[in-house]
Amino acid sequence: MKKLILFSLFVLSFLFINAQKSFPNITLKNTSGKDVNIIEKSKNNLIVVSFWATWCGPCIQELEAINDDYEDLQDEINFELIAVSIDNSRSISRVKPMVNGKDWDYEILLDTNQELKKALNFSAPPYLLIIKNGKILYTHSGYTPGSEDEVYEKFREFSK
Amino acid sequence: MRNLFLVGFVVLSSITYSQNRGNFSIGLESNSQYNLFDKDGVSIDNDNFRSNNYLNLNYGINNFSFGVQLESYAPNAILNYSPSFNKQIGLATAFANFKNKKFNITLGHFYEQFGSGLTLRSWEDRQLGINNALLGANIKFTPNSALEFTGFIARQRYGFEITNSNLIGFNSEINLNSFFKSDNTNVNVGFSYVGRDEEYVSTTPGFKGDSFPNYVYTTSSRLDLSLNNFYANSEYVFKSNDVRVKADGGGVNETTLTDGNAILLTLGYSQKGLGISSTFRRLENMNFYSEREAAGNIFNEQIMNYLPGLTKQHDYSLTNIYVYQAQSGIDFSRGDFRNGIINGSIRDGEIGNQIDIYYKIKKGTLLGGKYGTKIATNFSYWAGLNTNIINEDIGGVYDVSYTTDFLNFKNKYYKDFNIEVRKKWSKKWSSIFSYVNLFYDKNILENKDTKVHANIAVIESTYKIGKGKALRAEIQHLWTKDDQKNWAASTLEFNASTKLSFFATDMYNYGKEQEHFYNFGASYTKGKSRFAINYGKQRGGLLCVGGVCREVSASTGLNFNIITSF
Repeated sequence: MKKLILFSLFVLSFLFINAQKSFPNITLKNTSGKDVNIIEKSKNNLIVVSFWATWCGPCIQELEAINDDYEDLQDEINFELIAVSIDNSRSISRVKPMVNGKDWDYEILLDTNQELKKALNFSAPPYLLIIKNGKILYTHSGYTPGSEDEVYEKFREFSK
Repeated sequence: MRNLFLVGFVVLSSITYSQNRGNFSIGLESNSQYNLFDKDGVSIDNDNFRSNNYLNLNYGINNFSFGVQLESYAPNAILNYSPSFNKQIGLATAFANFKNKKFNITLGHFYEQFGSGLTLRSWEDRQLGINNALLGANIKFTPNSALEFTGFIARQRYGFEITNSNLIGFNSEINLNSFFKSDNTNVNVGFSYVGRDEEYVSTTPGFKGDSFPNYVYTTSSRLDLSLNNFYANSEYVFKSNDVRVKADGGGVNETTLTDGNAILLTLGYSQKGLGISSTFRRLENMNFYSEREAAGNIFNEQIMNYLPGLTKQHDYSLTNIYVYQAQSGIDFSRGDFRNGIINGSIRDGEIGNQIDIYYKIKKGTLLGGKYGTKIATNFSYWAGLNTNIINEDIGGVYDVSYTTDFLNFKNKYYKDFNIEVRKKWSKKWSSIFSYVNLFYDKNILENKDTKVHANIAVIESTYKIGKGKALRAEIQHLWTKDDQKNWAASTLEFNASTKLSFFATDMYNYGKEQEHFYNFGASYTKGKSRFAINYGKQRGGLLCVGGVCREVSASTGLNFNIITSF
């Protein structure tokens, strides 16, 4: 009986696929303690949201690579990236010194109990999204050197 | 009850979907292994295939959201997971939530954290097999942006069941910024309370139980300050009297009570190009489980709080051989007890400090080069609390009375100094150099007869071929005269595109066992989906995620993982 219900639930769920395209409505704090809601920030604004953690090597590589191009991209195509840290209380004390020590220019949000991560349903960072007006336009998991070029390309595309 | 919930979920979502509103999302994760050889190299004949599967369904409409998580561990859970999961398929968590500007109410399973997690943290970590969600009612009230209050009443998830104890909790976060004119000042005050009510039935004849603590609670007081470039976070936790649980399922000592406490202090300074953070922590008898006799179980089941090892999370295979786990609770099992005298350690907690310094040498300078050079250093030191035994004439080791010194750092358990230098040579080349010097008391930390002093060096380089293609190589070496002696390791990773990647890695213990721990595999990522497969020989030891560890046994086999969401 249990298995039948589970199976039918599984099947029915596919009929309902109205693929999640809305960004979750969750407010997080930035490193200055102020509340920030990403959906509000994305009103009429194209934004890149990248999930990272101080212990995630590829995440740091991705954010370093984009940071090197950030100034030029901001001038050229109004590129904006919000970096959401999923560091929990064990490593959260490293976030601010690391961001400053690495000289990053992004706005940093803290998803300490992984609320936003759970709502977006991804397993591990790096995880990157491009959003506008609360709608998700592009996602990419993982990072390989050079994949930021694809992100810039998509950003240009959606800016038109 | 569970079936009702499921049916209700399907009915509700079909009704509301037909009105063409709402937002449905599905998450699927499957981690499987096919084990060929066990830790001794013997071929495995039964139960080769093991699989952990998670299906997450979420539905949101207006201010409401609903979710269920189904889990399957059939035919068997992955090696070293709690056997209570074997062959199980069922509803793991389910919730209904209402959220508006002032209220956030959840009925069902929820995850919660108070402060840094020293009093309460419920979370899910699939790699470790932890999901200590709370089942009950949780209400958050945010009257304005300066205040947040949370209250809950619940029982804790345990496998597919719930625990027998009743838990209540209360948390308040108060932001005092409005009292300060400066925009660069941030002051936060917090207070939490968590209580556990668990009945106890004694089998001891003549047991009176008047002072037996059926109700145990923890409180946390916190103050967080930040002013311009400086910040300080502090937390003090108190845990009320509780009985001592005997190791290896021996029951509890009914008459001798101990309380606990914790102090956490973080100080930091950061400005563009430089960041410094120092964390001091002292833990005394801080383990807290939702059922008292679950204390010390190796599967991290029924834990109520989060006591991670505060050390650097290292990225490489050789730097993850000697990993520190927080020594947060009572452990009298190593003391040799004879004729009423204890010889050996009475362990009650830990004390120590960790410092991180991040610095960027500017571009254009001699050492900085064209792109700048980034340096990260970390130092951590952890020692056991120093205990002084008071009574000499006792019936059993669990009757001991003792005091603990407040700031005594002499019982060294672990020390780690490391430095990492990142250098970008050109648009295509970049490297990372790492050096670690560590001390690990394997006698205290793993009950093996040795203390380890080790030095580890790693060089990693990445070459960007272009159009998403890249090549990454690592070489590592560990020098030690102790334990398993020297190791060498290397990794090669080829990214054929932004979607497809291959790797091969090997760890070789040439100093002693002459054993290779090799692994090779591939992964494919597209949008929100990821497929990965690898084959190799896994070293037995501690698998640690976020400072919490799980023992894994050596094995050889094939692993595959799928994760996707719609």
